[in-house]
Amino acid sequence: MQQLYLFISGPLLWLSFGIFFGGLIYRVVTYIRGLDWQADRVAYQAWPALGLKGALRSIVHWLIPYYSVGWRAKPLYTFIFFVFHIGLVGVPLFLAGHAVIFKERWGVAWPTMSMGLADVLTIGVMAAAVCIVIRRIALPEVRIVTTIYDYFLILVSVTPFVTGFLAVHQAAPDYNLWSIAHVLSGELLLVLIPATKLWHVVGFFLSRGQLGADFGIKRGYKGKGFAW
Amino acid sequence: MPEGTLCNKKTVDTKEYLDALLADKSGKKYYEEMSHLEVDKEKLKKTLAASMKSRMRAWLDLCSHCALCGDTCFLYLANHRDPTQVPSYKIQSTLGKIVKRNGDVDNEHMRYCMDVAWSKCTCCNRCGSFCPYGIDMGVMFGYLRGLCFSQGFVPWELKIGTGMHRIYHAQMDVTSEDWVETCEWMADEQQEEWPGLEIPVDKVGADLMYTLNAREPKHYPEDIAEAAILFHIAGENWTVPSEGWEQTSLAMFAGDWGACKVMVESVYGAMERLKPKRVLGTECGHAHRATVIEGPYWVGRKDGRPPVEYIHYTEWVAEALRTGKIKIDPDKRIKELVTLQDSCNYIRNYGLADVTREIISYLVEPGYFWRTSPGRSLVTWWSRAISSRCTRTGSTTSAAAAAAVLTASACIASSATWA
Ligand code: SF4
Ligand code: SF4
Repeated sequence: MQQLYLFISGPLLWLSFGIFFGGLIYRVVTYIRGLDWQADRVAYQAWPALGLKGALRSIVHWLIPYYSVGWRAKPLYTFIFFVFHIGLVGVPLFLAGHAVIFKERWGVAWPTMSMGLADVLTIGVMAAAVCIVIRRIALPEVRIVTTIYDYFLILVSVTPFVTGFLAVHQAAPDYNLWSIAHVLSGELLLVLIPATKLWHVVGFFLSRGQLGADFGIKRGYKGKGFAW
Repeated sequence: MPEGTLCNKKTVDTKEYLDALLADKSGKKYYEEMSHLEVDKEKLKKTLAASMKSRMRAWLDLCSHCALCGDTCFLYLANHRDPTQVPSYKIQSTLGKIVKRNGDVDNEHMRYCMDVAWSKCTCCNRCGSFCPYGIDMGVMFGYLRGLCFSQGFVPWELKIGTGMHRIYHAQMDVTSEDWVETCEWMADEQQEEWPGLEIPVDKVGADLMYTLNAREPKHYPEDIAEAAILFHIAGENWTVPSEGWEQTSLAMFAGDWGACKVMVESVYGAMERLKPKRVLGTECGHAHRATVIEGPYWVGRKDGRPPVEYIHYTEWVAEALRTGKIKIDPDKRIKELVTLQDSCNYIRNYGLADVTREIISYLVEPGYFWRTSPGRSLVTWWSRAISSRCTRTGSTTSAAAAAAVLTASACIASSATWA
């Protein structure tokens, strides 16, 4: 058991990170290289300052809860959305248990959050996921665009949280089944992020930035910039 | 590959073809032929490979199916929240399927695409602003229209419209001679009331070159006269070109990119010939989009701008009021509750919101204007989100026009709540 754990938390973890970073770099590079000023009808190179300003403005407005007009139009969904995403990003990055690994492997000291906060955020992720699923089923406008694939992606995103939560709170021996399931599901998620539309972890910045640049260039030189 | 004599993949470049289409009342034969029109899958595949770039591919791929774009679309709202009107659904079930199947789609799917692309989206770009990823269905439907057009699946009226552009360089059969004659006629008509009024044709080096909509010489010549009267009162040094005066583009609506280029080249050609200091376009929003916003890209101008500064009609009006070239008696300002539709074309896509509001300040008594975009205070943020929604200019369907009226009354209703 311990050997299995060592393998999946050693070489397999490295491999997952390799695919994760390599895949995302590939996504970023192909996206940027595929931008075409004439086909997109955005003069990226002629107006770099307007484009950059528009892009950053757009990204910032959508990163902060209730800052963009779009977020304000959907207050409840926005709340659920941010609970989900803050936990999804925050817990894996700043969990004390993960920081130990960073310290052991690379010797880097990493900021951590308290266990209590991690628990709250993890429960938040799970509760938000349930809300998102209910929303998908309950609202006709969401149901019509939802596919099985969407549920699958929610499942793979949340599984590391469920398993991690159980592993921590079962007070079982170190290498229990939940821990193994947690590491494996986390690795699966790392691999699936660049391979599926979960590549939005970088895609959001690219795509939002692109539209921001588009509107910045179209509107900025003469009229008002876009009011997100 | 079976093709009809009227409905086919050819562009309308001859008068005979155009007349044959016009003779086919309501496009009866045209649509009958369309139901047998074969899809050239190889060509479709090649077109996708050449023109489907990373931005659009990412859009189709990234969409998280959250439907936040749903009630940003006025067509969704105007159709009682019909889920098939959710922008994401509309694009995924049409273009999304073509891309997924790499062009391997049948006649029925192309006809479905045609229906959705032209009757369920006006390319207003509102949904894109409200999607967290900035996925712009309006842009994609514009692209889909191009794909449909290249395969011959285009509404009969637009096949005719784009044929007009190809043959007459105008959206209607108005020749250069007709146009110049109309200008002379309209100038003559005004002499009694406005002695000395001129409509100068092809004057080189004028301060303003005016471009407009073929519908004006064709059906409403008095519109030209009205513009001329304003220029006359304002003392403008202006001109109209004998060629390249038509600013609108049914070719853009039709997705006929070749004809779009022809149309823009004719207007830019006039700029080169007449060297005006500035060009002034008519109020028509889609004309502005075609000639000023998208046109530069169709003809390959890397700066994305027309060769000469090209202002929108509202910019000229605001300027004339600001500088006192035109005066409005403040006592005659409107004293009823007034609101303003923000056009998708020159507001959302060009940013002239302050300009139209400046005009309003001369027309409407202070206190009677309900600002549909009331800034960012928390009290008003949601009313901002629900207002400023529509797009009267640029609408291609009557549903759109109906929705515009609806939105206007909704704005007034919300003003009663929030004012
Ligand atoms: S808001 Fe954007 S991501 Fe959500 S369904 Fe609409 S297009 Fe897709
Ligand atoms: S571009 Fe406008 S009309 Fe088209 S789907 Fe989006 S909101 Fe609706």
